[in-house]
Amino acid sequence: MDKIKAAITLGVVCLILTMAICVQIRTMNSVNQEVSKTFEENSLRDEVLKWKEKNDEITKQLDNAEKKLAKVRTDATKDDETASSIEEQITENNNLLGLTDVVGQGVEITLKDDPNATIESIGVFGDISEHIIHDADLRVIVNELKNSGAEAISINGERLVNTTAITCIGNVIKVNDERISSPFTIKAIGLPESLASIDRPGGYVEFIREYGIVFTMKRSNNIEIPKYSGVISAKNMVTQN
Amino acid sequence: MMVIIAIVIGCVIGAIIGLNIPIIPYSASGYLAIAIVAALDSVFGGITSILNKNFDMKIFLSGFFVNAILAMLLTFLGEKLNVDIYLAAVVVFVGRMFLNLALIRRYCIDKLSSKKDTNSKKVNEEI
Repeated sequence: MDKIKAAITLGVVCLILTMAICVQIRTMNSVNQEVSKTFEENSLRDEVLKWKEKNDEITKQLDNAEKKLAKVRTDATKDDETASSIEEQITENNNLLGLTDVVGQGVEITLKDDPNATIESIGVFGDISEHIIHDADLRVIVNELKNSGAEAISINGERLVNTTAITCIGNVIKVNDERISSPFTIKAIGLPESLASIDRPGGYVEFIREYGIVFTMKRSNNIEIPKYSGVISAKNMVTQN
Repeated sequence: MMVIIAIVIGCVIGAIIGLNIPIIPYSASGYLAIAIVAALDSVFGGITSILNKNFDMKIFLSGFFVNAILAMLLTFLGEKLNVDIYLAAVVVFVGRMFLNLALIRRYCIDKLSSKKDTNSKKVNEEI
């Protein structure tokens, strides 16, 4: 009898112990590996972790709500001809605005900083900043893609909309208020043949290639471009009559 | 034997629960860590006492909780005083863990060698 009691107690204690160990390991995995002992930093970390969780949850909720809304809309407009045509218009406009995930034929461009650039290879007179990708390079490439008929463009998963700015903020590039860094993946939906003309003799791509920047392009019939995650608002403009 | 089964079952269930409950805030993880070390020490102590046949549930359970809470309080005090007092707790607990582990090891080896002796005696008798 005593032995059973002892076994059960030990089992329960081991249960608590392994539970605590698992929780601890998961907590440490979710935080960055470096351990700090400062009180201030710990509480800041707490805060960040909490907000991150909250943010993820709310984004998930929003996604669900949007899906539900789309379903309700299609259901409601199924039987009504005018309503369904308006619904189609809304969908098309949302596609054009960049508020929906879109898919289609196009190209996928990858840009990488010069992998062979070292102090020795550049020498005293060279400039290391010529061997890395800047915001201006991205702007030129995006411009050329738009010029050759791209309908939707994303850089590292950030959809370019009419309010998007590509700016340099120190050692990263800001697109849609999100920081992105090399390697850059630019996806564009459009006619692949005309989009591929970005890589032409004498073009900008050839120019940056001379500095060792790695440019690869892949045509595909199934380019997936995510929707713009921000909010498009217009407070100052009204329709002129 | 039963003790081993209970420990294994407890560990498995604990791992399943631990993988599914929400994580704790980062600032509390230091306290949980020290509590884990204290609890580990208690478990080893419990196993040793079972092998020595002087297991007392009251002593075991009170040791488990009081050690963990005391260790956490020490950590808290250390944080306030900016002294790493939790190191002292870790040293004590791990030292005792090794001690208990040594006792368990000795017990197991004794048992194994005595079994071998009886086996060889049997063989001798058969011959």
